[in-house]
Amino acid sequence: MVPPEWYLLLASGVFCIGLFGILTRSDALYFLMSVELMMNAANVNFVAFSLYYGDLTGQVFALFVIALAAAEVAIGIGIILVLYRNFGDIDVTVPTEMRW
Amino acid sequence: MSSVAPAWSALSPALLLGLTGLALLLVDTIRPNERSNTSMAVVSALGALASLSVTVWFVIAGTGHADTGGAITLLEGAVKVDTMSLFFTAIFASVTALVVVAAHDYFHDHQRPAAFYSLTLFAATGMALLAVANSLAIVFVALEMVSLPSYALVAFLKKNRGSVEAGLKYFLIGALSSAVFLFGISLVYAATGSLIFGEVAGQIESLDTLSGVAGIGIVMIVGGVAFKTASVPFHFWAPEAYEGAPAPVSAFLSSASKAAGFVVAFRVFTEAFPLGASLAADINWVLAFGVLAAVTMTLGNFAAAVQEEVKRMLAYSSIGHAGYALIGLAALSAGSAGNEAVMGAAMAHLLVYGFMNTGAFLFVAMAERWGIGRTFEDYAGLARRAPVACTAMAVFMFSLAGLPPFAGFFSKYFLFMGAIENGFLWLAGLGAVNSVVSLYYYSRVVRAMFLDDPATPSALDAIDVRPTALYAAVVFAAVATVLLLPGFGPVIEAAEAAAAALF
Repeated sequence: MVPPEWYLLLASGVFCIGLFGILTRSDALYFLMSVELMMNAANVNFVAFSLYYGDLTGQVFALFVIALAAAEVAIGIGIILVLYRNFGDIDVTVPTEMRW
Repeated sequence: MSSVAPAWSALSPALLLGLTGLALLLVDTIRPNERSNTSMAVVSALGALASLSVTVWFVIAGTGHADTGGAITLLEGAVKVDTMSLFFTAIFASVTALVVVAAHDYFHDHQRPAAFYSLTLFAATGMALLAVANSLAIVFVALEMVSLPSYALVAFLKKNRGSVEAGLKYFLIGALSSAVFLFGISLVYAATGSLIFGEVAGQIESLDTLSGVAGIGIVMIVGGVAFKTASVPFHFWAPEAYEGAPAPVSAFLSSASKAAGFVVAFRVFTEAFPLGASLAADINWVLAFGVLAAVTMTLGNFAAAVQEEVKRMLAYSSIGHAGYALIGLAALSAGSAGNEAVMGAAMAHLLVYGFMNTGAFLFVAMAERWGIGRTFEDYAGLARRAPVACTAMAVFMFSLAGLPPFAGFFSKYFLFMGAIENGFLWLAGLGAVNSVVSLYYYSRVVRAMFLDDPATPSALDAIDVRPTALYAAVVFAAVATVLLLPGFGPVIEAAEAAAAALF
């Protein structure tokens, strides 16, 4: 069996790639993909440690997370769609009606 | 609760909210071309009020109270109905009722207002579920159940660029913080092997090499909480979302959604990561919350003082109030008898805040309905044309500032006194300084409404409509804010009893 530390390393790596993507890309669709990566990093932890502890909670919760991530993307795509209709672009740095 | 009722009936406040939302969605799906704004608003208000009455009945009957058999746990301990959950459900249901009533007038010319009501009720269901969550899994699911409808609600005015931009920013930061929160949960699971609060707490003390993993996880969970409560460092979305969103949605998010963030924080950090055990594992989250509370209230109040638009000022002031409520977590010390006083005071503050802040945002909704502009100058002389609403707004402003004759004073007083008794004089002092700063910008609104002259004699001619439902909601919130003054004794007792059950 692969030692659990390696799963933690893998998950942290995937999480950091996702975070890096969010911080460097201004395209809204890349943002969605990066968030998906971060959530899947958490899923890796849940499934791996579910096996390690011999407890099903983590695996079942990973299924919940997949469903919730899909719901979040559905809402996100909807918002990106109205963003495109109003601003003609899906660059998240374009809308500046209000000052930060 | 009598022993004849099945245990699941303890969840009926949440179920009532959810079923009302589903019923509205069903009617809207079957008859999509029927524009029935009034009946939708009436049904959703009735649903929220039914939920509120059941909650109040449970509080009076002592459901989940230590005297009647203690907290009711369901679903293998993943859900727990106790006095704190009922206390917060009452806040959520009241704010929801006020918001849907006000929305009836706000969306009077909207094409398809039906979705607003079901989304609001679904978000309220998620909040009621957050209040009873006793497992990190339920916390995450319920948190998303609050967040997803909220993103759609903020962007509800699809053709308004401000609303869409606000929805986008809220979504971006919300999605990021929920991913961070989820990763935090996964690290806690990795370290402890459980998601149920009680079992996590049992493991925290005996972690040796894994306490670093759990510590990072807890820091990430603090981040998720900071987003939901609009505290530093995840507060950036709040001014944008509150300013761009339709004003009833701003009222809903800044009062109910914030309280939902706090109920999670209170329960997670007392039951899953109890202070003594966390300190034993070298995880000092009290210090983290102390820094967050100090920075949040200072930043919120000082930023609010330089705003030109009333709605944006209220948004920053709501960040400041998140800072005050965070004192409820920041001023805890292991094993101290004063813990329940300070956390109870934070809960009471959130209840009072629920009415006064919702009322203030609904007044802004009324101003938007009249179309008189958004800055302080635009409100000049308003009291001559709308004396009742302006008096209500003055009550909200003075209560938010924490002036003595209003309910906001008592909740802040108990909060700061609790902090001092627990040895956190610096937090209480900083809170008091911030309250003084806040008096400046709150009184600006009152001065504009009552003392200043309108810029042009015709500036207020727009006030020719009388939005009855909005008026009713604003006046009701004002009456509640005033009535909480004599009624503050029972509220603080209930809140302290709820907090005592946590320690």
